[in-house]
Amino acid sequence: MDFRNILVPVNGTPSDAEALRLACKLAKEAKSKILIVYVVEIRRSLPLDVRLDTEISKGEDTLTRAEQVVEEEEYQAEAALLQAREVGPAIVEEAVEREADIIIMGFGYKSRFGEFSLGDAVPYVLKNASCPVILYRLPTKKAGQRLDTEQNS
Amino acid sequence: MKHIWERKPGDRVIHLHRPQRYRLRRVLGVPGLWATAYGNVGSSIYYALGIVALVSLGATPVVLGVAGIIFVFNALTYAEGVSMLPEAGGSSSFARHGFNELVGFIAGWALIFSYVVTIAISSFTIPSYLGYFWEPLKHSPLIGTAVSIGIVVFLMMLNVLGVKETAVLNLTMAIIDLGTQVLLIILGLAFLFDPHLLSQNITLYWPETHNFIFGIAVASIAYTGVETISQLAEETRHPEVRAPRALVWMMFTVLVIFAGISVVAFSVMTPQQLATEWATDPVAGIAYYLPQRLALNPPSDPALNILFTWFIAGLQHFLPLLVAVLAGTILLIATNAGLLGISRLSFSLSEHRELPSAFKRVHSKFKTPYVAILVFSGIAILLQLPGLFSFDIFTVLGGLYAFGSLATFALAHASILSLRWRQPNRHRPFKLTWSIRLKGTELPVTAILGLISTFSIWVVLIIYQPYSRWLGFGWMALGVGIYFIYRRHAHLPILRMGKKLKGITKAG
Repeated sequence: MDFRNILVPVNGTPSDAEALRLACKLAKEAKSKILIVYVVEIRRSLPLDVRLDTEISKGEDTLTRAEQVVEEEEYQAEAALLQAREVGPAIVEEAVEREADIIIMGFGYKSRFGEFSLGDAVPYVLKNASCPVILYRLPTKKAGQRLDTEQNS
Repeated sequence: MKHIWERKPGDRVIHLHRPQRYRLRRVLGVPGLWATAYGNVGSSIYYALGIVALVSLGATPVVLGVAGIIFVFNALTYAEGVSMLPEAGGSSSFARHGFNELVGFIAGWALIFSYVVTIAISSFTIPSYLGYFWEPLKHSPLIGTAVSIGIVVFLMMLNVLGVKETAVLNLTMAIIDLGTQVLLIILGLAFLFDPHLLSQNITLYWPETHNFIFGIAVASIAYTGVETISQLAEETRHPEVRAPRALVWMMFTVLVIFAGISVVAFSVMTPQQLATEWATDPVAGIAYYLPQRLALNPPSDPALNILFTWFIAGLQHFLPLLVAVLAGTILLIATNAGLLGISRLSFSLSEHRELPSAFKRVHSKFKTPYVAILVFSGIAILLQLPGLFSFDIFTVLGGLYAFGSLATFALAHASILSLRWRQPNRHRPFKLTWSIRLKGTELPVTAILGLISTFSIWVVLIIYQPYSRWLGFGWMALGVGIYFIYRRHAHLPILRMGKKLKGITKAG
């Protein structure tokens, strides 16, 4: 499959680097453009156009690190800082506006109330994105242990 | 092929510069805007009908009708204002541009007062409706008020922690609420409407003139949605077009529903019953009496009679339960919406350097304006406290709300007229066309009528309602005092616009 535009949302977790490396690998084959986005989430008790210095700095740092990863892969990327009420719709909206051909999202192992959880943004993007979505979940010992337990029982 | 999916309300996206270039994406369409606003407005009938009946007795439908006409003037003024100035702030923003910073602050401070009282009234009404499940919630002032205070504390904590509200729940409740009210109206009007009975209820229980006018003032509590839409304008795609459209939609919806509900109320119970037993939960009263009144006219056909009896029995069990659950939920959402509105507005005033920067302090971990949330929740609780001692605060809260909202609306009308005078060539995507010419300037008639009506009712209110007068003016004096002291301390002009603070909102 040829992808002209690859959208990679990042959120400052270790999975960002792996998702970006995968994006670079795909992009090199088709000479695609990589778009990295970070979404600053704004609570509804604040005006949407509020400027939160600490959050913006965090976003900037994350994007800078993401750009470094892409540079290490000897590729280039464009980065954008977004601000929205919720991450999921912001990613989908950006994908539509930028005409992304694929979204590559990384995420680590998360659990909520003891159960594995995809969070809020990932299910929204999976459900609503008009383009293909690749979800990259970092390997964890926990999942590996569970598999061993199941095989032994 | 471009894929279109349904956007969620409030999902405007801002593209921030790295570090200075920002881009906002606005995704709230007209239906989302209408639904979010109706969720706030639609809740007010659950207490507005009772408060108005307490004051105006038999004149309730007439009072709601007159207030509805004033509401139309307000909605049209806001439609022009928000299309010109699609920023959060509503009347405060209009006044800032139409006059100066001081007037903008006065409008904003009066609006904050209305929001605080809305929080107090909405949460105060919830226990009455939940009295369906446990009677002391409705009839014990101590228990009822304690529960309402607990509700405010609970929502205050939720908002400080930044727990997300679900837009899906808001929308779902707005639709179910609208559907339930339409059902009540259809059943009431189709089977029980009697013009003679209505006329009798109105004339036999007609109030004194000052109570009639006070009723119109208090009835403004039923029409709170205009500010909601203007506050949401910045989250709307093409706000200059969609916000006025949503305002017009909401105007018609609210007028039809409120007119219908008030007529149905008078078809099933007397004004006396509405103003006494069901003052704090009027829609529950309608749900209680409606099946009983319907049961008085069974069909003669035996087969139909069986079906009818079964239907009435179902209504008697289902309707009060539905109203109790619906009212409790939607009033909770409305209380929360009031808290969100107040925190955003006070943040906005603080950004414009009209309130001290403490009000825009954001919690380092939760990323919420916790100071504003705590302060104004605390004030709402203070307003509720007299209810613990069997003090009848329901009407008082209605009067306080009217003080703030009428002042806000009057300033909004004055600001639109001022902007027509000072900036006649400013682009107005939604321009009120019915105007009179004064020295070459077109002044919209609805804004003039709106200004005259809201201001004169406000004057009658402060003459005849001492509690509203003293507490209202006390609040305004406090606010203006804070403004003057803060502006002097910060070496800022009192009247002219100071520079809006950018990029220095720190969590702490």
